[in-house]
Amino acid sequence: MVFSSNIFLFFFLPITLALYYLTPRRGRNLTLLLTSLVFYGWGEPVYLLLMVFTILLNYFCGLWIAARQARGRSAKAALTVSVVLNLALLGTFKYAGLFARSLRLLPGLGGLPVPELVLPIGISFYIFQSMSYVIDLYRGKASLQRSPLRFGAYVAMFPQLIAGPIVRYRDVAEQLESRRENLPQFASGVSLFILGLSKKLLLANPMGALWENLQAQPGCLSAWCGMFAYTLQIYFDFSGYSDMAIGLGRMLGFEFLKNFDYPYISRSVTEFWRRWHISLSTWFREYVYIPLGGNRRGLRRQLLNLLIVWALTGLWHGASWNFLLWGLYYAVLLIAEKLFLGRLLEKLPGLLRTLLVLLAVALGWMLFYFEDSAALFAFLGRLFRPEASGLPALHRILAYLPTALIAALCATPLPERLWARLRQRPWADWGRIPALGALLLLCIAALASQSYNPFIYFRF
Amino acid sequence: MKTTTVKKSDALLVLLFCLALGGMLALFLLLPKEELSLKEKRVLAAPPRLTGTELLSGRFAEDAERYAADHLPGRDFLVGLDARAAQLLGRQTAGEVYLCRDGRLVEAPAPYDEETIRRNVAALLDFAEQAPCPVDLLLVPSAGAVAEEGLPALADPYRDGEIIAAAYGMAEGRLQTLELLPLFQAAEDPAGLYYRTDHHWTSRGAQLAAAAYLASIGRESRAPEDYAVRREPDFRGSTYARAALWSLPAEELELWDCGGRFQVENAETPGVHEGLFYELRLAENDKYPVFLDGNHSLVRVRNLDGAGKGKLLLIRDSFGSSFACFLAEDFEELVLVDLRYYREPVSELLAAEDFDRVLILYSVGNFMTDSNIVKLD
Repeated sequence: MVFSSNIFLFFFLPITLALYYLTPRRGRNLTLLLTSLVFYGWGEPVYLLLMVFTILLNYFCGLWIAARQARGRSAKAALTVSVVLNLALLGTFKYAGLFARSLRLLPGLGGLPVPELVLPIGISFYIFQSMSYVIDLYRGKASLQRSPLRFGAYVAMFPQLIAGPIVRYRDVAEQLESRRENLPQFASGVSLFILGLSKKLLLANPMGALWENLQAQPGCLSAWCGMFAYTLQIYFDFSGYSDMAIGLGRMLGFEFLKNFDYPYISRSVTEFWRRWHISLSTWFREYVYIPLGGNRRGLRRQLLNLLIVWALTGLWHGASWNFLLWGLYYAVLLIAEKLFLGRLLEKLPGLLRTLLVLLAVALGWMLFYFEDSAALFAFLGRLFRPEASGLPALHRILAYLPTALIAALCATPLPERLWARLRQRPWADWGRIPALGALLLLCIAALASQSYNPFIYFRF
Repeated sequence: MKTTTVKKSDALLVLLFCLALGGMLALFLLLPKEELSLKEKRVLAAPPRLTGTELLSGRFAEDAERYAADHLPGRDFLVGLDARAAQLLGRQTAGEVYLCRDGRLVEAPAPYDEETIRRNVAALLDFAEQAPCPVDLLLVPSAGAVAEEGLPALADPYRDGEIIAAAYGMAEGRLQTLELLPLFQAAEDPAGLYYRTDHHWTSRGAQLAAAAYLASIGRESRAPEDYAVRREPDFRGSTYARAALWSLPAEELELWDCGGRFQVENAETPGVHEGLFYELRLAENDKYPVFLDGNHSLVRVRNLDGAGKGKLLLIRDSFGSSFACFLAEDFEELVLVDLRYYREPVSELLAAEDFDRVLILYSVGNFMTDSNIVKLD
């Protein structure tokens, strides 16, 4: 189930909120677990088994680790088993097809069967969340969760289940035991949810439509505009989803960490990755980069570590080699920035630096978007070969220009700063209500028109 | 003091949010469900069936989502609101229908694609080769190409003229063709040859084309003023439904009656219908199917006073429905075939019956997008 759907908005959410708040406080984790399982099993009920297995696996590994440590023994074996099994699940369900297809290219292996597994939604997120629990427990940064219900509620929690943010166990451990849902928090959750939904339906989707349209148009201008349309689409899509997740969390009394912090105003690629999908970069830094030695073992080891982390980050985004390429692209940029580019960049004026970073990021999104290398090179060719785009492309760009400008503005902190100023006014608290109401109405309208398909050539 | 204000507005926000979602849920459960969407001309999704297999396969979820989307409370209003919002943001021309400054709704131009033209004309030529009688080709330009005045600033260019010229060029000498674009553009009120809320030509447009066609094959036609014209109000057609700009006014649909006696049959409905106009269709929003009952795989029109006037096979899209009404009195029999639905080889029909002429009539839009033309054999 996705948040921007009729079923979620008008069925799942009102019913879940009602059940949740009708449940006495001590039973709310159970309600949360059960409703989350319905949410997860909605489209692919079979994978509920996988979810339950993941919960039990990590729950029992947690008990094992704690039992070993309580007796003063090493829990390394328990941790290893847990990490290996988690990665095996991810590997099987996400990457088996990719590796089998790639092995088939080797001589003599052409007949290798390719497993056709449907990717279980959210698996990359909830496996990483579960791993944060066992690793932190092993390191003594988190304490044992004795209740399988509470632990299940953490892993399966529907707000961040299928598209993040990746919530570390230790960040919500306390909230799982004792949280005090309250009205101001619920209200701020509502605002954030509506803003996130608007990002997705009112900005990301039109930008996606423009990108799709411009891909089919010839010429250089349409390629550039299309690339930036996609750059906006992916930001609003993803950050909108994170906002909705954090907003829903607040409605249920949880506080998750920020996942996006205006990445497109960054003045270096390093800064970009501190602002983009923060929970993922944090996860990789904490559970891969630092354990590998980070920057503490000399420059050469640091560069190797960066390569490893970014190769993995790339592949985490999808089971296709272009994601690896995309990750390595960032490894190269980050290493270059560390070695010399950073010092050069600092001499440039801020706006120019932002534009350069934006350009690098936008080009990166093309590596991300095109899974097929022939299509990628054809598109890159269009970017750099001077060729006119034709009237239809120009018309399409102009038609979407007002929307794109609004989107570009919303990708900067300006609207938030404006709101921070308006907030002081006496009417602001009341004034936000009609504004949010209007946004919600427009979102519902956009959702309704998705299913509106007049048949022109009907019969009888 | 300030904290109480904050709390009150927070409470109102939460209350309204919950009321909005819960209210939609309640309305969804309480409101009666329509089976058909008249605007979309399609059957709306049926309630999902809750069985073990449906649930496990994920079918239940898909069906439920379709059902929820199709029966969303206030759906028409919401769709209209979305269309207005897109229009205010300047995105109106990104859709398939343009709103002109004079309130006309016209289809966006058909894409120019030489390969499609070549393939379709080749299919027509192959067919004509085997036909035992002359074959004519008539391509109907779209409303936007005929009357460009008032088109929105960002409308894509209409290349109907080029498309027609290319197709006619390939057919030259083998099919008899007729140029409508200059004729239509020279008419007194070119925009009036098409509906304002529908992509078809009006009766005036169809009559003008029919008269020109009859003249081109050496036949006489009735003068426009010799028809008894009846006007039907409240017509809202296909472009109206697609644009979803509900506040635009309805228009009139004209029925031009030549006074002849006709019997109409079609392949899907049993029985014989007296007269060219299916009056029951006038009760619908989209009244265009009043002409010969709209789209059918095969329609047969018999002129009871037409002995000796010959027999015409009309291979056509929906533009042919109103057009045929203006040919009916000039032939003994018309047979209309719509390749989107007709599944037999047309050559068998041609061999089985004794036709004097074949006319292939397509709107440029359909000619460029319909994949069934190549199946003509």
